[in-house]
Amino acid sequence: MTAPVAPPGGDTRSDRPTPARPAHRLPFRADQRLGLLVLVVGLGALFGVVRPTFLDARLVLFPLFRDVSTLTVVALAQMVVLSVGHMNLAVGRMAAFGALFAGLGYDRLGLPLPLGLLLCLCAGAAIGALTGWIITRTGVSSFVVTLAMDFALLGLVSLLYSALTENAAFTTKPSGLAELRSYSLADICVGPVCGSPVIPQLAQFTVLALLGLGFLYGATRIGRELLLTGANPAAAELSGIPTGRRVVLAHTLSGLLAALAGFMAAVGTGTFRASIGDDFMLPSFLGSVLGGTLLTGGVVSVVGALLGTALVGVIRKGLELLGVGLESLNIYLGCVLLLALSADRVRTVVSHRKVVRST
Amino acid sequence: MPDPRGRRISRLSGVSQGILSRVLTGSLDWHTIAASISYLIRGGEGVRLRTRPLLPGVVAVALLAMCSTACTLKNSGEPTGGRAPASARAGGGSAVLADGSATKVALVPGGAHPYFQPWKTAGAKAKKTYRLGDVRFDETAEWDQQKQNNLLSTLAARGYNAFGVFGVSPTDVNTTFADLKSQGLAVASLGSCPAGKKNEADFCLSTDVELAAYKAAKAAIDAMGGKGRLVHLTSNNVDANTQLRIKGVARAVEESGGKVRLLQTVTDIDKDLQTAQKAVSDLLTAKGNQIQGIVSTAYNPAVAAADAVRSSGSRAKVVAIDDDAKILSSISQGTVTATVVQNPVGQAEVGAWALALLQTEQCAMRDPGQSIDSGSFVVTKQNLTTYDRARKAKTAQLKKRFADDVLACG
Repeated sequence: MTAPVAPPGGDTRSDRPTPARPAHRLPFRADQRLGLLVLVVGLGALFGVVRPTFLDARLVLFPLFRDVSTLTVVALAQMVVLSVGHMNLAVGRMAAFGALFAGLGYDRLGLPLPLGLLLCLCAGAAIGALTGWIITRTGVSSFVVTLAMDFALLGLVSLLYSALTENAAFTTKPSGLAELRSYSLADICVGPVCGSPVIPQLAQFTVLALLGLGFLYGATRIGRELLLTGANPAAAELSGIPTGRRVVLAHTLSGLLAALAGFMAAVGTGTFRASIGDDFMLPSFLGSVLGGTLLTGGVVSVVGALLGTALVGVIRKGLELLGVGLESLNIYLGCVLLLALSADRVRTVVSHRKVVRST
Repeated sequence: MPDPRGRRISRLSGVSQGILSRVLTGSLDWHTIAASISYLIRGGEGVRLRTRPLLPGVVAVALLAMCSTACTLKNSGEPTGGRAPASARAGGGSAVLADGSATKVALVPGGAHPYFQPWKTAGAKAKKTYRLGDVRFDETAEWDQQKQNNLLSTLAARGYNAFGVFGVSPTDVNTTFADLKSQGLAVASLGSCPAGKKNEADFCLSTDVELAAYKAAKAAIDAMGGKGRLVHLTSNNVDANTQLRIKGVARAVEESGGKVRLLQTVTDIDKDLQTAQKAVSDLLTAKGNQIQGIVSTAYNPAVAAADAVRSSGSRAKVVAIDDDAKILSSISQGTVTATVVQNPVGQAEVGAWALALLQTEQCAMRDPGQSIDSGSFVVTKQNLTTYDRARKAKTAQLKKRFADDVLACG
């Protein structure tokens, strides 16, 4: 489900017709994502011991999982463009743009929940495709184009909300929205056995996005072409890969995922408003890069985006439970992240040395 | 592959021509490609392939294990949330808090803002006066509704059972209030009411923002001599409260019968002082000589306008908001005509007390969801030294109103 690339090890045998089993395989424990998983579970357990309320299903874990679900989709939206070596600075505004259409659909057109979501996704994909098209046609860097798009959408979304609504938000709630927000797997039962009250039903979208992207990057030719486009656009172009179309595809997918995240954020808080996605940009990079996606393109980690986002979520929640004030919360968050990642790096280096020593 | 183009591609991409030919024919498995990519990125350094299905497998097993261990049986562990609404009993009971030691009040603003600082001291005072279990002031919501929701549920998990909340998004906060209420907690909307007619909290104690903006605009128009051009500086345009402020100012301008014209409404400049300062100095540079009055219904633009008018020597009459030391000194110097002060101390003090009465079920709301104006006062040079007395009197009056009309105590 990911396109894993191990840390540097021995020599590659990629020039042989069939890659032989490498002589000095890096151990499984050196995988960055395993380190993240251990960190997330370890920190969760630590906070659980220090503050037993951390394991409170209804008040702590359910909201935490709902938050992680939304931010994982945000991280995936960024990861898709990072895979072609681009970035999307308008990820938050694209979320707001998508959510605007969902709200409009529910409020003015009286659409049912799934159709509004579809409209939201189409709007997101369209704005993403437009961004990708501008980038490929003009050759201007994605940084500049998405930054410009961010400003343009900031104005456009505010303007549309002010023109269309009284309170700068669509407050019409289609049937099923409240349930989607507050139901967990505990509301799904097979006979007498129900699911966990910890996993929100909203997470279904995240799981779908994870599976979809995992399949795309792990098992399809288009996925491989996206990665090759990111790794070396010139080589990809010369290899016959339509890099322009792949860039447009990556941005379209990014817009679609951003809109999905916007929808999820709106469902999470209750209404479709202009301020959705205001805080999406940093978590989008944090989640994907922590998870092992390279900023330079060519390497992605779908599971890593989930784990990276979960790590930040767990640390934040734990610190909140410990009653850390605003002045210190972000300092601690930064310190814990730095420590966590240093520990991860130390572990990788130690594993790597062991391998080297054993050769 | 003798083709020279192929050789060039192979050299550029750093993979062998054999690999390249397999890429082009689609016969290459994906992890060889990934290795090639990594090879490229690391400048030709050797890479190693690894067992691919292991990690997703581990993650899936971990998730499954977590789900299965946490599975519930139907009707076995239903949370007992949802306090039955206490019936509004007839008055005549005492609104003197009998025992507030089990009440833990959390005062949660939308984020850090100077306006809320009095909540901290007023909350601490209320804890002492009414012997409450705890009063916590937590400003870590960072102006994000999702973060505020998370913070509130975390505080509830930590045992806080009464909440005074300034909702980040007035249109969303009812959902938050309904969540908290369904867990049997006492909730008040402090400092701002939810948008629309409905309020899911027990009560709302806040400045009537439209009225406060109207008062401020009226004061500015009076200072302008009832005619001229007015500029309105305010906060985030896509906020329900800002829309109310704009309405309030527009009403005052309309009442002038065309003598006063609203030249411009500048929004989205309350983010921080620098943003406000820049916007105000730009405004004065561009249209300084056309402006006879400036009314600011947001904190940062008010401070910025007070500064800018003083330094530029503009003759525009400024009406500010809140009682920052800078604004008060500007009033005494005469560069700011008036300011409209609000009553955050009263909100926190009376809010914490009423929440404790509701939480202990000593009292119930007569009319759940009722909105109460916490008061706004126009302060000029004349009443600069005495306005705090009026504000204290308003707080005492508020408490009496709660005891007499708002709460029904058994």
